[in-house]
Amino acid sequence: MHFNMLPNDIPLPIPTWGMDSVLMPVFLILLVVSFVVHMVFINVLLGASLASVYFNRKGAMEKNPVFDRVAYLLTTPVTISENMGALWGVAPLLLVSVLFTPLFYAAAIMNSPQWLHIIYGNVAAFLFSYLYKFTWHKLENRKPLHIMIGSASVILFFTLPLVFMSTVQLYWTPTTWTYNTHFWDALLRPDTFFRLVHFFLAAFAVTGLFMMLYGKHKQKSADATDAEAGTILLRTGKSWFALPTVLNLFAGPLALFQEPSYGIEAFFSAGYHWLIVLSVVIALICLYLVIRNFLNDHVSSGRVWTVAGLMAVTILSMATLRHGMRMSLIGPALAQAKAQSEQFQKDSYEARTAPKPAPAIAADAPVGKQLAEKNGCLACHAEDKRLVGPAYKEVAARGYTADKIVALVKQPVPADWPDYQPPMPPMPQVPEADVRQIADWINGLK
Amino acid sequence: MFDFPIFDMPMFGHRFIFAFDAIVHVFISHGAAVGGSIVLVLAQRLAIKNNDQKFDDLAYKVLFTLFILATAVGALTGIGIWIHANIINPAAIGALLRVFFWKWFVEWIVFNVEMVFLLMWFLSWKNRPLGTPAKQSHYRLGVAYAVASWLTMAIITAILGFMMTPGNWLRSDFPARPDYIAALMNPSWIPSLGFRTFFAVAWASAICMLLTWFFTRNDEETRVKGIRFFGKILAACVPLFLLFGYWYYLQFPAQAKELFVIGAITRRLAGNPQLATYLTLGLAALGLLGALTLYANPKRAPLVAAVIMLVGTSGLIGEFERVREFVRKPYIIYSYMYANGVRVIDMPLLERDGYLKYAQFVPPEFRQVSANGDNKLKVGEYIYKMECRYCHTVNGINAITARVKGWNEETIDNRIGSLHATVTPFMPPFAGNVAERQALSAYLYDLSSQQR
Repeated sequence: MHFNMLPNDIPLPIPTWGMDSVLMPVFLILLVVSFVVHMVFINVLLGASLASVYFNRKGAMEKNPVFDRVAYLLTTPVTISENMGALWGVAPLLLVSVLFTPLFYAAAIMNSPQWLHIIYGNVAAFLFSYLYKFTWHKLENRKPLHIMIGSASVILFFTLPLVFMSTVQLYWTPTTWTYNTHFWDALLRPDTFFRLVHFFLAAFAVTGLFMMLYGKHKQKSADATDAEAGTILLRTGKSWFALPTVLNLFAGPLALFQEPSYGIEAFFSAGYHWLIVLSVVIALICLYLVIRNFLNDHVSSGRVWTVAGLMAVTILSMATLRHGMRMSLIGPALAQAKAQSEQFQKDSYEARTAPKPAPAIAADAPVGKQLAEKNGCLACHAEDKRLVGPAYKEVAARGYTADKIVALVKQPVPADWPDYQPPMPPMPQVPEADVRQIADWINGLK
Repeated sequence: MFDFPIFDMPMFGHRFIFAFDAIVHVFISHGAAVGGSIVLVLAQRLAIKNNDQKFDDLAYKVLFTLFILATAVGALTGIGIWIHANIINPAAIGALLRVFFWKWFVEWIVFNVEMVFLLMWFLSWKNRPLGTPAKQSHYRLGVAYAVASWLTMAIITAILGFMMTPGNWLRSDFPARPDYIAALMNPSWIPSLGFRTFFAVAWASAICMLLTWFFTRNDEETRVKGIRFFGKILAACVPLFLLFGYWYYLQFPAQAKELFVIGAITRRLAGNPQLATYLTLGLAALGLLGALTLYANPKRAPLVAAVIMLVGTSGLIGEFERVREFVRKPYIIYSYMYANGVRVIDMPLLERDGYLKYAQFVPPEFRQVSANGDNKLKVGEYIYKMECRYCHTVNGINAITARVKGWNEETIDNRIGSLHATVTPFMPPFAGNVAERQALSAYLYDLSSQQR
């Protein structure tokens, strides 16, 4: 298969010290594992920040301090997961940039300037979320304002996956690139859309799981409000986990079958679909464990931890099959980019080792002219016609002495040549001996 | 770079958006993280030694501010440097990542340590009261944070040093065989690290003096202690960073030293090199004047003294970063790659075959000037967008139309033919064949004549 537009690979080796067979799998494992950690933090960040604002508002409307407490408790995981999420995003970013450079950078450029939103939008979201957390008690009596601040951070956090996902989906699918592809094309495509749906549902499910764990932990608290808040977290967690997980059983296949067919074929022939089976089976078991006591609070800590452990396997398995789809899609493109780069480097080597053509200024030209060329004077001046600056014949007509010309090169007087723009800059770096020879040549021009 | 898509940034240009992110990152990372962690660890140590609750509270308030700045702005704009670089100069950052992958990977691990210790130090400060053994172990969290924070700077400085003075890092260019150790051990690494370390601590002390002023409005005694304490650190750092700065300067390539004056002021003012001296001394004087006023009489010193000090010191940092970036021109990686992403060794190929032959994201009908020349302007526009937009915009910052104003096509063409000349030693030479150069001249002439 051939890709019409594809940047060359970077003309430097991937730093494996010649141990590709050992280190490439290490890179890929690091990529998948660090990405999973990043994703879990990001999922909790999205879900918990939204849940905090939701419970804050609910507490204010119903004048119920327990809901307010739930909302406040959720700001701690938000602070931790926004920082750790960003931090653990760095490792996959580094690995993707090194391993898939031509594809990833090309997609990022096509998605720009929107790509920069993941920095500036993120900074703004962080600041709003800190403001929300650290003004909790100060703004106790001004809840509408406080909820607005919280909502601003949530809305900003929720815009970031749009930018990430469209860039990821674009770098995975170089067959879809055109000369005019840009951010909105990539975002509004069905493949990106269904992946986003899948992603956001998973974010809620993971947050649900987190809320169950956090709720069980808080239930044990000596403080009565905290213990009650723990029960609310547990209940909310169950429904946040169950409903999105059920919906994702449908969203997943929809996302999968939007990918270009050559990728799907390679994905199945490599056997990655068995990981789908594994993920679905485990997810169904977890659903059963959660739904069994859906309408009452008799969920033991052991059960919640079992679900969490099983879901960790599912998440790792989904991340691996995601990687499988990526490699199925971009494998051929990477090989082509590498081949292109090798050809280019070979051509470049030939071109630079070929015999050099004769210089523009002949060796028998006057010494002054050769020095004028060497010192770059001819960038702006010619012998007999106006360029940026006056023709040297015109300069000769003014009859400057050699001393005067030396002084003028060091500190030009643009006022003497008012019709010329821009003024000549001072060039003290030209050696005085050179200027004297150039001056002789100029003054010899008639 | 010819084989990547084109990213247009009208008006502001690439340089500006990159510089914006980078300078914000430098202010925050040097002030709030690297320097801030060291200064605050010293402050906490003093509070523990004197069992001084008020001073401990002051240190916490300063840390609170620096925590928000470091995590929300400093860390993200640091990642932002990659994000900006990968859309502005993918060839350069791609090359740097291949050479420095392992250092960056280690930096990420250290970054983890830094972040975890920062979170622990900050979030548990209030639960570890002064005068208890818990406080002593809490103090160690701060020390770990400061060490990790400094190590991230040490690694990144190696990469910045490499861009300016790569040393003998490429054992063979075809096939490419980098020497990773030589790249790391480049000549300007250690001097620039010393320079940055001490100016980071000095800059953080200045920020702490300003914050102390704010947080001690009702407590003159703590104000005197705080401002004098941070002021002493500032004073101790100045001679050290000057010393390392001079050592650092000695490492610069000769060609880069010649660009110092233009970098410090602007090209237009370069005829009066004394202005560069005045500017630098002026900013330093502002910083010192403000600091001395605060130090001499912390109780009476007005807020404006602290602000003047901050303006002076931040101005110096901004000027240093501009000079460092400017004098590296025309290269992005010295002697290896020009600022516009073209490798120096690829110039003969591009001259022979044309630049656009390899432009994957330019439609094929514009990769060559047609026989009747009807696509010449469009070809020129693509050349402009791929080679010049790194530094120029059409009408905005460093506008290309202002550069060629009043010139005829032949003049423009002649000028483009010798860009890397004495008059503009900071510009890379034109990459491409003669037809492309003429197409670019025609396009630029067309642009400027539309404005008449």
